[in-house]
Amino acid sequence: MKLRLLFCSILIAFAAVPAFAHHSFAAEFDESKPVKVTGVVTKVEWMNPHIWFYVDEKQPDGSVTNWGFSGGAPGQLLRRGVSRDSIKVGMVVSVEGFRAKDGSHNASGGTVTFTDGRSVFTSGNGDRTPGAATAK
Amino acid sequence: MKRLLAIFLFSATLIAALGVAGLGLRAASARAQAPGAKGPPRTADGKPDFNGIYEWPKSPPGEEICHCSATIFDRKHFAALKPGGEAFLEPRTGDPRHDEPRDFCMPAGFPSGMLSAYPVQFTQTKGYLVMVHEFQRMSRVIPLDGRPHREGLDPSYYGDPVGHWEGDTLVIETTNFKRWSLDDYFYSDAKEYRMHSDALRTIERIRWKDTNTLSYQLTIDDPKIFVAAWSQGFEMKARPDWDATGLYEYVCEENNRCAGGKCK
Repeated sequence: MKLRLLFCSILIAFAAVPAFAHHSFAAEFDESKPVKVTGVVTKVEWMNPHIWFYVDEKQPDGSVTNWGFSGGAPGQLLRRGVSRDSIKVGMVVSVEGFRAKDGSHNASGGTVTFTDGRSVFTSGNGDRTPGAATAK
Repeated sequence: MKRLLAIFLFSATLIAALGVAGLGLRAASARAQAPGAKGPPRTADGKPDFNGIYEWPKSPPGEEICHCSATIFDRKHFAALKPGGEAFLEPRTGDPRHDEPRDFCMPAGFPSGMLSAYPVQFTQTKGYLVMVHEFQRMSRVIPLDGRPHREGLDPSYYGDPVGHWEGDTLVIETTNFKRWSLDDYFYSDAKEYRMHSDALRTIERIRWKDTNTLSYQLTIDDPKIFVAAWSQGFEMKARPDWDATGLYEYVCEENNRCAGGKCK
């Protein structure tokens, strides 16, 4: 319960704050192309300068698309209460971010929602997330 | 080029580590001032004590010009441009190596890196102030013993700083820069990229504003661009709660997957 309160507090604190992009965001991601992907986490790279995590999304035709999401620096996320244990391989998650400009199946990390309803922000400090929420 | 960059960043990290270790200090060192005493915390030699971890310099409340992550300069503080100075506030070119050099793990430089949205640790002795910024592990070793600037150095991204005390204010003058980004403005406006020239001279004035806030004033004196020096005031909040974990490692080359917008 305390954990849920913490995550809710983070959500409220960072909601509805417009922001500009941060480190490389503008070059890599298209703010006009929000994506929402639901699937199983297949890999987590908890590394600088940005964490990456990958999600398998099942398509209507039965095929599977593996999406890569780029988030903030590990240090930024740790101070926000998000650690390498927050997102683990095998978890089912919904991720909202912005698609890469190169048209690949990469996107910015943003709001990650778990099956129990908890959410965390994985983007870098100041990066915009869909819904105009901003991670600080 | 990659190898040169790696050597540079490794050296910067090593200097930071040696600087802090060699001075034999912890940022949260015991301060000499008795609890309840008036005025700023002081070191054993009576100077204001800046040891600790801080948030990066931010505009005072109500003076922010955007919700950017890194702090940027407010153009209203700029002095008038000299003829030809406009060229340093040049548009983005579309070349990511020009427009976003940090995307390739190039150094942020000073003052841009100082304003990045990561914690900064100050370690202070009688003779030095060492600043280590979590972002890119930017490190600055600032002599406080009144020595002049070094001569014969090649221009650099972080310049050559020297400091002295003016009462309870620490004044740091930095010179000998190479032409580089002035601030992070280029992440918030695709039409403008702010460079400083190799004639840049910066002056930082640091003092305690209240018990947990440093006043951090930054003066930009760039006679190739502006007709006069100009200044902007910032604040740095002390974060003793960050001391338990300290600064986290930041190694840009570790997994920089999307340099120049091309993810791999």
